[in-house]
Amino acid sequence: MTAQAPQAAQAASAVPPKKRLMKHPRSRFAGIVPAMLLAVGMLLICEVLVRAFELPEFVMPAPSSVFEVLVTHQAQLFVATLVTAEEVAYGFFMSAIVGALVALVIARFDRFGQALYPLVVLFQTVPKIALAPLFILWFGYDLAPKVTLIVVMAFFPVALNMLVGLQSVDPNLVALLRSVGASRGEILRRVQIPHSLPYLMAGLKVAVTLGVIGAIVGEFAGASAGLGYMIQFASTQMQTSLVFAALIQVSVLGLIFYYLVELAERHYIDWIPRPNA
Amino acid sequence: MDFHVAGRTHRVLHNVDLQVPKGGFVSLLGPSGCGKSTLLKLLAGLLAPTEGEVSVGGLTPMEAVRQRRIGIIFQEATLLPWKTALQNVEMLMEVTDKRRPRAEIRDRAREMLRLVGLEQAEDKRPSQLSGGMRQRVSIARALALDPEVLMMDEPFGALDAITREEMCDFLLEIWERTGKTIVFVTHTIDEAVFLSRNVVVMGTNPARVIENMPITLDYPRNEDTYAIPAFGQTTAHLRRILKEGHRQGHSNGRSA
Repeated sequence: MTAQAPQAAQAASAVPPKKRLMKHPRSRFAGIVPAMLLAVGMLLICEVLVRAFELPEFVMPAPSSVFEVLVTHQAQLFVATLVTAEEVAYGFFMSAIVGALVALVIARFDRFGQALYPLVVLFQTVPKIALAPLFILWFGYDLAPKVTLIVVMAFFPVALNMLVGLQSVDPNLVALLRSVGASRGEILRRVQIPHSLPYLMAGLKVAVTLGVIGAIVGEFAGASAGLGYMIQFASTQMQTSLVFAALIQVSVLGLIFYYLVELAERHYIDWIPRPNA
Repeated sequence: MDFHVAGRTHRVLHNVDLQVPKGGFVSLLGPSGCGKSTLLKLLAGLLAPTEGEVSVGGLTPMEAVRQRRIGIIFQEATLLPWKTALQNVEMLMEVTDKRRPRAEIRDRAREMLRLVGLEQAEDKRPSQLSGGMRQRVSIARALALDPEVLMMDEPFGALDAITREEMCDFLLEIWERTGKTIVFVTHTIDEAVFLSRNVVVMGTNPARVIENMPITLDYPRNEDTYAIPAFGQTTAHLRRILKEGHRQGHSNGRSA
């Protein structure tokens, strides 16, 4: 048994790379099956425990009643999801633009970049959540304060990743282009920006998840609609099942946004060989 | 055309006096740290000498590069991974000839890919090409600007031994067909002897030129060249000089 174990481990580690090379549609989804089974198992255990200990529903609802609320309150939840989705979409879009611009400015203008970069890092140490009440004060209860909060939270990973991409170009290539008379702008456009796109995408993936957090926190601080508002409202009403239902809805929203970014990455960055592409 | 390098700096290069005749093939041979890459960068205008002068056909290297008389090839092919082989060859032309029609640039790039034997691979991305093929694309990219001199900094250093020899045959063929002057940096003795008309041996501590040795083997050279006794004698001689230079360098390093 012990003699066989290392062999089995070797075989297991040798198989997946081969599988990944195959362009079989099943291989992409086959990986989800164990995770799904585990999740279903954990929900079942949860259900059994909640029933066994007869926990009151406002403390800990059983998964089945959360699922029930998810269906019966779907109209209400769906409207709230649209509100939050709009905040995330605008906030994410603005974060991408602001982050990319900050990176480009720092990379292109040495002096200004040297002045700007430490300030950006310093700003990063401010707990952004604490700014939410200020944004409510300045911009009211609608879209604007949420979008602003998302931007201040999410532009940094975009800027940082893209900057790394812009600055990690092969110096020989830059020297070669300079030597034939290419301007800095031209080098940026022809080499640095395309080179930075995979890095930018990594930053956008972080930004999009921060965007969902930003929207929820923004709604906590002051809102009249949206999933974050709904979570807060339902919890004051002791509708704990609805809180959980809204949480599930938020997670699904985050997943969808993340997947959209990944789709864009697969579409636009086709020069990096990747498994399952 | 002559190169004249009379660089004198304290740390980098001492008393380097070197001339490369037009149409020649000169290798700079030496261990790491002997300043051969620095010397090449001076010649290619990527560095400016603190003292002394470098001239390429009567111009400073910077001017020469601007007039596209110098093509540079690095150890890595430095291609753009998101562009095809053809687009990579076009790239420098697009920078230097903004007014040239696209079709003309494309034709020129195709011609260069044919010259390096990659006409079948024009739509391939660098990640789909082997190391040797990538380096051929980078040579095509340099040749597209029709330079008089090719400066090559250990261009085959990252390739395996067999591909390396293939690339040496290929480079001699290109040299013969185009008549370019080639300055070739390497630390491989066989490679330097096989390729060059002159081998400049360099040493460390201080970085300096030890000997400028003409290679008398006849062109065209091919795999039989390696078996000629003169080839063996030349490499043996160079090996001796390099080792001596290295030992001296070490003792200088200790006393300093």
